[in-house]
Formats: sequence, C-alpha cells, structure tokens
Amino acid sequence: MSYELGVEQKMLKESARDFFSKEMNSALIRELEEDEKGYSPKIWKKMAKIGWMGLNVPEEYDGAAATFADLAAILEEMGHAGYAGPFFSTVVLGSSLLLKGGSEAQKEALLPKLAQGNHLLTLAYAGQAEPIAAADLPLQATAKEDGYVLNGVSLFVPFAHVADTIICAARIGSSAEEVSLFLVPKGTAGVAVQELQTMAADKQCEVVFDQVRLSRENLLGTAGSGWPVLQAVLREAAVAKCAEMVGGARKVLKLTVDYAKKREQFGRPIGSFQAIQHHCADMLTYLDTSALITHATCVQLAAGIPCDKQVSMCKSWVSEANRRLVGLGHQVMGGFGFMEEADLQIYYRRAKAAEQAYGDVARHREIVAAELGL
Amino acid sequence: MKIPLNQEEQQVLDEVRRFFAQEITPELLEESHHLEYIYGGEEGRKFVQKFAPKGWLTPCWPKEYGGLETSEMLMYAIRNEMAYHRVPIHFAGAHMAGPSILRYGTEEMKKEYLPRLATGEIEFALGYSEPAAGSDLMALEMHAADKGDHFLVNGQKTFNTHAHVADYHWLAVRTNLEGPKHKGISILIVDLKNTPGITVRPMITMAGTRTNEVFYDNVKVPRRNLVGEVNSGFKYIMAALDFERMFPWGHYKKYFEEILAYTKTATRNGKPLAKDPLIRQKLAEHATELEVIHHLYFNLAHLLDNGKIPNYQASMEKNFLSEFEQRLSNTAMEILGPMGQLKTGSKHAVLEGFPEWLYRWTIIETIYGGSAEIQRNIMAQRGLGLPRA
Repeated sequence: MSYELGVEQKMLKESARDFFSKEMNSALIRELEEDEKGYSPKIWKKMAKIGWMGLNVPEEYDGAAATFADLAAILEEMGHAGYAGPFFSTVVLGSSLLLKGGSEAQKEALLPKLAQGNHLLTLAYAGQAEPIAAADLPLQATAKEDGYVLNGVSLFVPFAHVADTIICAARIGSSAEEVSLFLVPKGTAGVAVQELQTMAADKQCEVVFDQVRLSRENLLGTAGSGWPVLQAVLREAAVAKCAEMVGGARKVLKLTVDYAKKREQFGRPIGSFQAIQHHCADMLTYLDTSALITHATCVQLAAGIPCDKQVSMCKSWVSEANRRLVGLGHQVMGGFGFMEEADLQIYYRRAKAAEQAYGDVARHREIVAAELGL
Repeated sequence: MKIPLNQEEQQVLDEVRRFFAQEITPELLEESHHLEYIYGGEEGRKFVQKFAPKGWLTPCWPKEYGGLETSEMLMYAIRNEMAYHRVPIHFAGAHMAGPSILRYGTEEMKKEYLPRLATGEIEFALGYSEPAAGSDLMALEMHAADKGDHFLVNGQKTFNTHAHVADYHWLAVRTNLEGPKHKGISILIVDLKNTPGITVRPMITMAGTRTNEVFYDNVKVPRRNLVGEVNSGFKYIMAALDFERMFPWGHYKKYFEEILAYTKTATRNGKPLAKDPLIRQKLAEHATELEVIHHLYFNLAHLLDNGKIPNYQASMEKNFLSEFEQRLSNTAMEILGPMGQLKTGSKHAVLEGFPEWLYRWTIIETIYGGSAEIQRNIMAQRGLGLPRA
C-alpha cells in the first residue's frame, strides 16, 4: 500500500474539484436544502455525462469499472463542495447492491440505465436504530404462494422520495439466513414515502410498507441471500461516508484558517494567537489522520481484502475526528461561524449526520472490540 | 495493517525478528527499561554490536558508511520492531547526530564517526537545553570562544539524557554574541570521556530515570570538531528535527496487547472485565488510535522515500503518539483499579508493575523533544502558514 493516491485517482479528484467549484456554491447548497427534490437534476445530468454514476459498474453494463478507491476520490470532493443529491444512494448503495446481490437479468436491466444517470436507487434497511442482527431489521416479509407480502416502517432512507427503485432488506424469521433483499419499483401499491425533517436537511425518508405484495421476480438474487450482501454494502457505505467527511473536514479547515489569517482582534490577526494556533493544529491532526486511515481502508476494500476491523476503526475514528474538527472550527470562527450565512454551520450539521450514518462511533467500536477477541 | 516494504526489505525485517527472538536476554530488557530505552548501557552495547554490523541500525545509509542503501521505510520498520521488543530505541548518534554529519559534515568527519555510529560502537548525547533555553532553544548561552585551532567552551546544559552513557556530545554553543540569536549558534562534537573540564551530574525524573546536567569549565574543543559552517548550527538543528524526528510506537502496541490479554482473563466483582461495555469501548478506541499512529509514523518514511521533507507531520506524529500514551496509561490504571498503583517487585503487582511506571513516564513523553505546545506551534505555523505571534 502506498500513502499516495494513484494517478487515475488524482485525475479524478482534480476533475471533480474543478467540476464542483463551477457547479456548487453556498447559495445553491442552501437552496437545495429547501428544495423539494433536494438535488439539481441539471447537475445530475452533467455528472452522468462525465460517467460518474457508472464509476463502479463493470464495462459490460456500460460502466467505467473503476475501483472503490476511485469512487472515494469523487466522494471526497462531494463532501468538500457540500454536494447534495442521490449520488450516494444510487451509486454507493444501489449499484453495489445490484452488483453483489443481483441476478444477471437484474444487472442487465438496471445497471446500464443507472450508469447513464436515468435510474435512481436507494436502500431501506434501518428502523429507529442501526440494525446489529437480522432480527433488528424493521421490515417483515411473509412468504405467500405467489411471492411475498412486506410490512413495516423503514427510516432514514436517503432520497427515497425520488428513487425509481427502493432496494429493501426484509426478514422472514429472525436469523441471518432468513433475510432477503427486494427490488421495490416506484409506485408499488402499499409503499408510502415521506421526507423526514432532519438536522442536515438531507432528504432522509420514512418508507412505510403496508401489505406490499411482491413477486419472486422482485427478489434481488435469491431468497435468504440478503444479509451478507447487505453487510458488505454497508461496510463500503461506512467507508464512503468517511471519504465524504474527509472532504468536508478539508473544507472546514480551509475556511477556518483563512478566517484566522484575516480576522483581526487586539490589533493583529487572531491566527497569530497560540490559543487559535493550537486549535488549528488539532484540526490539522484530525484531518490528516482521517485522510490517512480512510485512504488505507479504501485501498484494502478495493483489493477485496477482508477488513471488518479496519472498516470499523476507520468509521469510528473519522466520525469522531470530524466532529471535533468542526467543533474547533466554530471556536476559531466565533460569532461569525454560528450565523446561518456562514458555511461552517452546514458542515457542522452534516458532520453529525455522517457520524450517525452506517453505524455510529460506539457501534463501530463494539465491532472492533469483538474483533479484538473481547 | 501491513508495512509497505518490498520483498527484499520484508526479508530483512523477518530476519531482524528472528534475531530478536534469539538474542534478547532478561539482562538486556532490565537495563533497557532502567535506562528508559536510551542506547549506551553495557548490555545494550553488547546486543547492538551484534545487531548493527548487519546494517540494521542504519539501513538507509550509504554502504560505505555502514548502511544497506534501503528505503527509510525499512529503517522505520526496524526501529518500531525494536520498540516492540523493548530494546534500546533512542540512538542520539545513529539516528540524530549521524544523519546530520552525513548531510553537513566534512569527508574526514564522516569517515571518523559514521562507520562507528553504524556499528553501534559509539553513542552521542544531545546537548541542546540549558537552564534558560528550553522551548526557546535559540536563547542558549553556552559560550564557545573562537581561539583559532580550537574553541574554548564555558557554560551549563540541562536535560542531556544520554550524557552519562555516551561517548560524544553533540553540543549546541553560542559562537557569535552579536546579531540575531539564531545566527550565532554552532554545533561541536566533544569527546565526553577524554576531555578535561566536563562535569556530568545526574538529574532524576519522576519516573526514576536519569537525565543530566553538564558543566563545561574552560573546555578546549579542536576546531576540526566543528560541524558544517560556524554560526549555522540552528539551521542544522531545525533540519535535523525535520529529518530525524520520528518516534517509534511498538512498545505501546506491546503494552496495549498486555492490557488486552489481562482484560480477557481477569474478573472484577465476579464479572469478566472483557464483558464490561466501558472497557470494550475504551480498548477499541485505543486499538483504533494505534492504527492511526501506524499510518502517521510510516507516512513519514513514505514522504522521505519520495524526496519530500516532513516537517509539521513529524510534530503531529510525536504529539499524537505521546498524548495517546497518556490516554492508554490512564485507561490501564482505570481497568486495574487500585491494583494499578503497585510497583515492580511489590507483592500483588500486576503486569510486573509496568502500569504505574508508565503512568509516571508518559508525562515526560509530551515534554521532551519539544513540548506538545511547541509541536502545535510548528504545525500551525509551518503546516498551515499561520503568522508568528
């Protein structure tokens, strides 16, 4: 493993940085937080044209066959720019679920459309908490002669309100072997989607399943194969969130240091005071450590090396480091930082949302503890 | 996480591990601990002089001076392996003075010192701090008067940790009383064992370890012992900090493993410690911090191997590690409860009394080599370009 990004990742990252610096801005971030869709279809189309939706899709399905590390490079820039939209749900969750769990026919039917940006996906699996075991899944499936009936309420489903297909994890019993994944097309009878009002205004939704009848064709892959596929995708999602957080942290440090150099009190820039410098030094430490561990974990994931402990170390560290970093940013930026018009407060809200997503700090530490043999 | 080494280098590291398994004696471990892992003791010299001639102490040095011309990565890996095995890891000569001689010394000086440093035959002591020059190193006052063929040195040093076991002093002195303070400092090499006028006196730390104050009373130092240019010493010291400030962490990985093993077997009030959710969370957090330190540490080698100069990154690694050590030590004391205070040799002592010693020792770690606050200044000013006060 090298601590350097590969040539392709560097190029991807630079082009993403360019793209978002042209397309995203503070006003648009705020506009999208209020927007009904929560994303800009215009920017979505441009991203699709570059080929980012099909980044981790194999070439036979019109994708770019890039690695997870390449995808992480783009995600970092999204986090940096404050991008909002169904990219994470469609690409990190959706296409990965299809690739890992889907039948050949399902991949052929959905992946090319997805790669072109014409099909939005998401994943419903959590209830009021992150499920630890199969029995925690909130959606219950009952086998019928001609298929399944699904009931239950799934929460925190990103961009479900615009998704063309919701992939959901449901259980017939309470063991891991009784979990299946289902493809639920938009408009399926008995499915009700409602946006939740969240701190980060990030379009997480409630999805209610009320006597939803699905046929066997709606099964993603085969019956009972869902749990390991779900776990593999959630591991990737946790690290993908870390990549986003690293980008956000980089931006926050830049905002903070620029401010500390410019803002004068007591007749000199506040950045010359050691109290401020030490906060900034700690922020730099949180950023660099987050970037190093995220990069190393991405490389392992991309190489297909089993790395449950590594993933959980990464997610718990980056979540905590990012939260602390943004908090220190607020101390440095003082009254300016907590105003609605300051971008810092956007990153503060998003840092907490990212920390909660795909396992919080305590959850991942518990995984590490178990891996340590405790 | 694996260390990024090529196949040949991995073989060397494997060989080093086999050597440790065979050659480390209880006497060596006892002396090493007693000397807080500095090099220079009798057992340490016996051990290192079997180990270093293979090029393992200075693998990234040129072959003509006793190196193997390998990557820095291997050097970092071997040093960390040494730390893990709790043999001496602080070599003021091979890892601090040596690289500066390699960079700034005359050919004559290189030939005189480098091969002997590489084989572990000689050891240096750093002579930087003074009573009135701690964090503000450029305020140092020890005076070296230029007498043509020699310098006449007078003054006092403090916290010169290796001075009682070392052969040579890597001495920062003031050679110019005029002008800016940092442009009047030079570096001299002084033979500590054969030079009249030097007095070394012990200073004992709260961890029971020894450092020294050193007095120079009209000490004559030959001009040929001047390193590089006169009055350029501060620049060399700063550059040395960039290149050589690396703090191995293997001994804390080892300590973590010991705490973990203890936690898996011990019970408290009838319940297994390993099932306590607070302990599980804490140990998972420390395992994660060790992983972060792994990357901070080996990234320094990566930067050097790619022709880059780590500066703020070295401060970051030092701070993260030394502050982690205090957290880990405190966690150990919390897990052990009252048993944690038992010293080595005491009845009922747990983990050989190591926890209480480390709880004292780790306070020293965030101070020596530049306090945590000085490191943060470096990160802010050199890493982020924030203005000096």
